[in-house]
Formats: sequence, structure tokens, C-alpha cells
Amino acid sequence: MTTIIVQPSGTEIHIEPGDTVLAGLQKAGYAYTVGCRRGGCGICKIDVLEGTFSYCRPVADTVISEQERSDGTCLSCRAVPTDDVTIQLRDASLRLANPLLGQINARARERAKAASTAPEEQ
Amino acid sequence: MGIMRMGYAHVRVTDMTEAKNHYASTLGLYETLEDTSPEGNKRVFYKGWDEWDHHSVVLEEGGVGVVKYGWKVENEADIEAIEKKAQTFGLTVERMAKGENPEVGDGIRFSTTSDHVFEVYHSQTAIGTEVGTHNPDPFPRHLVGVGVPALDHSLITCEDPKLMERLLMEVFDFYATERVQTSLDDDHDLVGTWLTSNNQIHQLAVIGGPQGKLHHFAFRLDDWSEVGHAADLLTMDDVSVDVTPTRHGITRGVTTYFFDPSGNRNEVFAGGYLAFPDRPTNVWTVDQLGQGIFYHARELNERFTSVLT
Repeated sequence: MTTIIVQPSGTEIHIEPGDTVLAGLQKAGYAYTVGCRRGGCGICKIDVLEGTFSYCRPVADTVISEQERSDGTCLSCRAVPTDDVTIQLRDASLRLANPLLGQINARARERAKAASTAPEEQ
Repeated sequence: MGIMRMGYAHVRVTDMTEAKNHYASTLGLYETLEDTSPEGNKRVFYKGWDEWDHHSVVLEEGGVGVVKYGWKVENEADIEAIEKKAQTFGLTVERMAKGENPEVGDGIRFSTTSDHVFEVYHSQTAIGTEVGTHNPDPFPRHLVGVGVPALDHSLITCEDPKLMERLLMEVFDFYATERVQTSLDDDHDLVGTWLTSNNQIHQLAVIGGPQGKLHHFAFRLDDWSEVGHAADLLTMDDVSVDVTPTRHGITRGVTTYFFDPSGNRNEVFAGGYLAFPDRPTNVWTVDQLGQGIFYHARELNERFTSVLT
């Protein structure tokens, strides 16, 4: 189970393995400022406060600098979390654009949490 | 007549395999050459079905954004004439030898006040259109994807659109078909300008923004229905669509914007009225910019002026 925690609200979002941060948030019904969604414009950069991620596709050096590759800057349309991540958006607020998907994601998160904490059968 | 058209747009892509899938399979451009640049980057050259020259789009692996534009002149002597005008304008011009760009002849190269590289040339190896010139059919029977016929225009950004407009007018003999201004007063600032040298409504547009950036480069289609059909195909191919089919107030063209797999913005564009140098320039005040760009929505989306490569 991978969870994105969005600060400062602490909103928890369950995402499927292999999904980018952007895909995870959008599949859960959330929206924020994004651009090309292809790693080219850098508008969707966020900060990862805790946790790790890797880029699923090549990203141009002009979009993510060497320093940004190590200071928690995350190009959310190309970054795939490798474990739970805590993020903060830049100059944009997280908006629940699709409440129906939000409810579905909340239930998926509860199921995943229950499965991960269930006692092993004897 | 000097500059006839934008002959090629040379752009960078981060992943050539994905880029080829987009430009060849989704847009339907014809690959004419694959090589390695002098710097060691993989390059692929394309033409549209209704273009006769060797290439109009060049992809170069390694990054995003525009590398340079090629401008084709009608006569060999136009190169020297433009060289002189560029020097008079204050630009540093270098000579470009035949073969520096595959299949392109001698020419000149200079960096504009917007920090974009322009090449001016007269000859490029002629391949011929896909329908030929003898009793031609209206389109090739087996088009791939959108089947774009040709490169159409580009929009770039720079810090001083007024200066860039003056360069295009004085060096290229372009004229402005449309402008966006902060006011109708004489001391207005220029927000954007759409320019051409012929009847095409625009060959290059310039809006305020960072130096050297690409907003989009566009391919020509015939009409609304083709733009709608292209949008259908873009969705089928999971292309990131920026703006679904709509009309521009500026130029009256109809449009869909989308992003290539590296994030460079593309457009398919149809229509627009016939441009003439003696037609009064259309002027938009900046408070009506939303309607000027997206005629129906009448407001800019948050990406239009901020997403650049």
C-alpha cells in the first residue's frame, strides 16, 4: 500500500503501484495546477517532505536541475513514489474536483489499511 | 518575395521512441531521415504528406524546447538581402554551408532578439508530395493517424515582443495581421503579435514571456471537422490534450492544442482569414485577451501563458 499525504491539510490518498503522483491524485478525484503532464514544462513541481520516488521516464535537465534532483523537488507528472510520501504543493491548492472518486479512494485506502494490519491466519 | 514560409521547426525531445510514435503514428508525418547530430544526439527528420521538401520537422534527442527554425526564401539572392538587413538591424549573422543541415543548401544563421536561432536558406532536397503533381488526388489513400499535411506556424515567447516584431518586419519583411496591446493609446505596450509575409494568417507569433522559449508549433488542417477528428485520434492515442477544439478570436482559426510525449506543445490549426499587407491590422486590447485566444470560453486557462518548453 502506498499513501500520499498532502500537507498542510494532512489529506491521505491511496495510490496504486506504478502510478505517478499526479495520476494518483487525479484518480482519487483531486486537481491542482498542472501543465503538459509530460515532464516538459515543470509547472507541476511539488516538494516531497518525506519518502522517496523515482522518475518513470527521462526528464530534461532544463526542467529538473541537478540540485532539484536531490532537494525533494518532485516533478509530479513523472514521479512514481517508491514508498509513502508526504508532499506539499507550490502556489496551488489541492482541490477535490471529483467527490465520487474521492469516496472510492477513501474506501480503497481503508481496505488497504485493514489488509496491512490484519493478524496473520494461524 | 523573400521569406516564403517557415521551412522547418527543429525541436528537442527527451525520448526518441515515444516521440517517433507521436509524430509518425499519431500525427502521421513521414520519416525521411534518421541520423546523429555532430554533438552525438539522435535525430529524426519528417515531412507532411503535402510538403515537397525533404523535411519540415526535426526531432533531436536530449531535452525539450526549440533548437531552431528554418525559413525558406524564394530566390538565392534573398539570402544575401536578408543578411544585409539583419546586419543593419544589429544582428550577428554567420554563413551556413550546404550540408550543415542534411539536405539543406547554403544560407545564413543568426540569433534573434528573442534568443531563438533562425536559419535562412533557399534550397532543400525536393522529395515531392505524396500525391504528386500529375493529376493529383486530393489526399493520399493511406494516411496514418491525423495525417497532417504540413507544418503551419509557431508561437514563441520573449521579453520584448515589440523589438522582436520590429526585427521580423525589418529583416523578414513580415507584416502584423493581429496584435494584442495594453491599450489603444500610442504609448501602449505590445503583449503579442501575429506576423506573416504572405496570405497565410500567421507564420510566427510572439507573446511576452521568457526568452528563447517555445509555446507551440502547429500543423495545418482544412476545417472544423478535421480538427474534431484529430482531437478524437489524440484521445484514442492517450495524447495529453491541452485545449479541446475551439476557435481563436485572433486569426479566426480553429484549433486543438496538445502536448508531445516530451511536453512540447503542438497544435492543429485550420482556417483563418486571408492575410494581405494592406489589410488593417486587427487589434485586441489585453482585457479581451481571453476572447482573443479562446473565443468561446472567453477566458485563458492557467496553462496558456505559463506552460512553455
